[in-house]
Amino acid sequence: MRRFDRTAPALILAAACIAAALPLQAARQLPVPDKLVLKNGLTVYHLKNPDVPLVSFRMFIGGAGSAAEPASAEGAAGLTADMMMKGTSRMDADAVAEALDFMGASLSIGASEEYAQITGDSLAERFPRLLEIAAAVLTDPAFTTSEFEKERALGIDGLKAAKDNPGAAIRYYFQKAYFGAHPFGHLAAGTATSLGKMTVQTIKDFYKAHYRPDRAIAAVVGDIDRAVLVPLLEKTLGRMVRPAGPSSVTAVPALPRPQGRKLILVDKPDATQAYFSLGSPGYAMGDRITAAAAAMNTLFGGRFTSWLNTELRIKRGLTYGASSAARAWTVGGLMTVSSYTKNDKIGEMLDIVFDLLRKGTTEGFGAEETESARNYILGQFPPTLETNASKAAAYVRLAFYKRSFDEYDKYLDEIGKLTPPALKAAAATLLPREDFVLVVVGKASEIRPLLAKYGTWQEKRITDPDF
Amino acid sequence: MRKRAWLLVLALGILSLSLPAAFKKEDVKVQSLANGLKVLLVEDHNIPSVALYTFFRVGSRNERPGLTGVSHFIEHMMFNGTPGIGPGEFDRRMEFRGGRNNAYTGDDMTAYTDWFPPAALEAMIAMEADRIQGLAFVPEVFESERGVIASERRLGVDNNNDALLGETVRATAIMAHPYHWDVIGWMSDILSWRRDEVMTYYRTYYAPNNAVLVIAGDIDPARTLELVKKYYGPVPASTPPPPVTTVEPPQLGTKTVVMRKEAQAPSFLAVWHSPGARDADFLPLSILAKPLLSGESSRLYRRLVREEELAIDVGGGIAETIDPQLFTIEVKPRPGADLDRIDRVIEEELAKVRADGITAQEYEKAMNIIRNDFYRGLQTVAGKVNELGTTELLYGDFGRLFTIMDDYAAIKIDRVKEAAAKYLVATNKTVGKLLPEGGAK
Repeated sequence: MRRFDRTAPALILAAACIAAALPLQAARQLPVPDKLVLKNGLTVYHLKNPDVPLVSFRMFIGGAGSAAEPASAEGAAGLTADMMMKGTSRMDADAVAEALDFMGASLSIGASEEYAQITGDSLAERFPRLLEIAAAVLTDPAFTTSEFEKERALGIDGLKAAKDNPGAAIRYYFQKAYFGAHPFGHLAAGTATSLGKMTVQTIKDFYKAHYRPDRAIAAVVGDIDRAVLVPLLEKTLGRMVRPAGPSSVTAVPALPRPQGRKLILVDKPDATQAYFSLGSPGYAMGDRITAAAAAMNTLFGGRFTSWLNTELRIKRGLTYGASSAARAWTVGGLMTVSSYTKNDKIGEMLDIVFDLLRKGTTEGFGAEETESARNYILGQFPPTLETNASKAAAYVRLAFYKRSFDEYDKYLDEIGKLTPPALKAAAATLLPREDFVLVVVGKASEIRPLLAKYGTWQEKRITDPDF
Repeated sequence: MRKRAWLLVLALGILSLSLPAAFKKEDVKVQSLANGLKVLLVEDHNIPSVALYTFFRVGSRNERPGLTGVSHFIEHMMFNGTPGIGPGEFDRRMEFRGGRNNAYTGDDMTAYTDWFPPAALEAMIAMEADRIQGLAFVPEVFESERGVIASERRLGVDNNNDALLGETVRATAIMAHPYHWDVIGWMSDILSWRRDEVMTYYRTYYAPNNAVLVIAGDIDPARTLELVKKYYGPVPASTPPPPVTTVEPPQLGTKTVVMRKEAQAPSFLAVWHSPGARDADFLPLSILAKPLLSGESSRLYRRLVREEELAIDVGGGIAETIDPQLFTIEVKPRPGADLDRIDRVIEEELAKVRADGITAQEYEKAMNIIRNDFYRGLQTVAGKVNELGTTELLYGDFGRLFTIMDDYAAIKIDRVKEAAAKYLVATNKTVGKLLPEGGAK
């Protein structure tokens, strides 16, 4: 059954993104887990939940993300993560896939900027086997040349196909435009050019340097007893060998701060809709502004009745969705505003966006709005930690960012006390007025005249190589 | 994982096997009001949150030419004001009380999905009961929302080649039945719906006797039922909507769609007429879809992605719908791949299934996947509510949710082969190809 939802996933994701960027959460909200330390030094948090016969496993490996890639090997972290699923010395790629699919289980590895993440879910009765496979791919990946060639070719073709969907492509263009040569400008998927230059040795080197148990944090939540879990973990993840050398995660440099307006127009001649993303500096993980920023963003572009969605969708019908979101990392953060509309309306849309940014920073938010934002965040919080998977993810995130497990309680307490001046201050700090990066993807011949008034645009064609 | 993103998401519904012991049929309190509203209640205090879903028996299946997409449009208009609650007020009041909502429209049903803290329960029941008694359809708001839908169509279909091909293949495969058009509707209809026609459509389908209300979570069932009676009790029943009588005529030969469009990568899709969800052949085809299409170990993923390197990804399955619809195989081809070769590989694999069925190992794999998906769907309060409601609407009995495991277990492996031989044949097939034109190759 094909289904059309009232709001785009992006809008819901924006809310989830904010929650994820928050100082993660705990006690009243998040039960305190058992802390298990394996003989190889790996820390695993465990919480038993007998409600459904499922178990979730999550693991972060710090420093195994795209920020750790050499500039010449953009996409290496993502490709390493993909390649780890493509066979071990004892099971080829098809055998790994068959073993997982046969159990109805899922296991995946992906790279974000600061870490690689391993995600596994299975029926409780299959969990021992899932952990065995996870340990095998983590400790004994084969990295064969033939699988490398296949994965690389798929990656290059996937990037090409992404250009057919402007809503997807704009994310790549924006990341490049905003972060430039900074390591966060590395696309997790790489680029056709960078993937083309890579060899299987690049992957082997990246794996060897970064996949270490002393940088890993794991969590297991579900229908499994500690007495069963501990020996199982020792037998599986306990096999990860801590290298002799000390762990040295390369420090990520400070994030770039846009000076003035950086304007990029990407021409997609067949687009019937123009898409924009506007970005400016946000805040770091754990920053004191977090609660106020979350409430401010809720009102500005983080929920259905937000200013952005009200003005662009509800009042004018210009778009199906308009939203703002925050992302936070150790070294800093990013605020983004994004939407899309018919080509001939993009000027009207951007005018409204700039007007709202001005209003947010100069006028701030009213008492009733602020109360509504507080209620909304408090009311929507409990379901974000309802499942085994969300609890396991919260444990590893909190531990990775060195936050305590009562972080969410503190956060929600702070939310409950927020006042309009705090939100106005957050808006003044975080919403851009003059210094930002703005990327538009659309039919240039139609939208170029509408965009001229905002400044000088650097133009690209969607068919140009890379992003 | 990133490669998976290229496929259209097909909502294949409620497959399953065995329920968590913690969730039993007896946990569901059932009550029908005199006006025909069916109410299902589940008490679950795991988190301080309530999910309230209202399901209406209306979707694109109930539409007609000129009014395609109107079910989905009404879904949007349900938030745009009633005689008592102004445009946008539903959302503002709900969010002020800590609640959030969404809604979705499918081929067979429209669902309104609310999540909120327990303290908002009475206010939410009151607002939900209000908006099934009449909408304002304020003309300016009507026009503005039309623009939103047009944008949604541009986003989801017109600027998405896979979806555009999907819409065209569906409309080619299905000639007569209203499943012919996609839920979003044709752009020319979106731009010309008339207010009076839309109002008539709303009055026909939005009535307590055409709805199921499911509430679960941190509630007291007795008090909740009193609130439901208080606010919904006075709402009159309406004349039952007319039945959908069109039956798709048999197809007598393969149909082919070729589209040319500016693109970097081609798109490929093949569909076969398939039985409705209540048909005896539905479960065998659901089982088949797993070893054929699900995961990197599936037959078609191995052939097309791994061995012959013709594709980036493969997916699909059988649509779980009231009337017969389609079994779909979606392939995201590699740029430059030979689409005819992809078609031949699919035919070779289907020929094997028609002749030999699936292996015992594949059968067990399918059952494991189905069971795992089923439990995952029931992990949350919202998941339980959605499964209960969709099961009630598709099968006429939410109780089937608690027996479907047994139904699957009763399917003998040979039934998979028989169903494949009956449905996945050339005369039943429509194949679609979108070929890139212009742009970089």
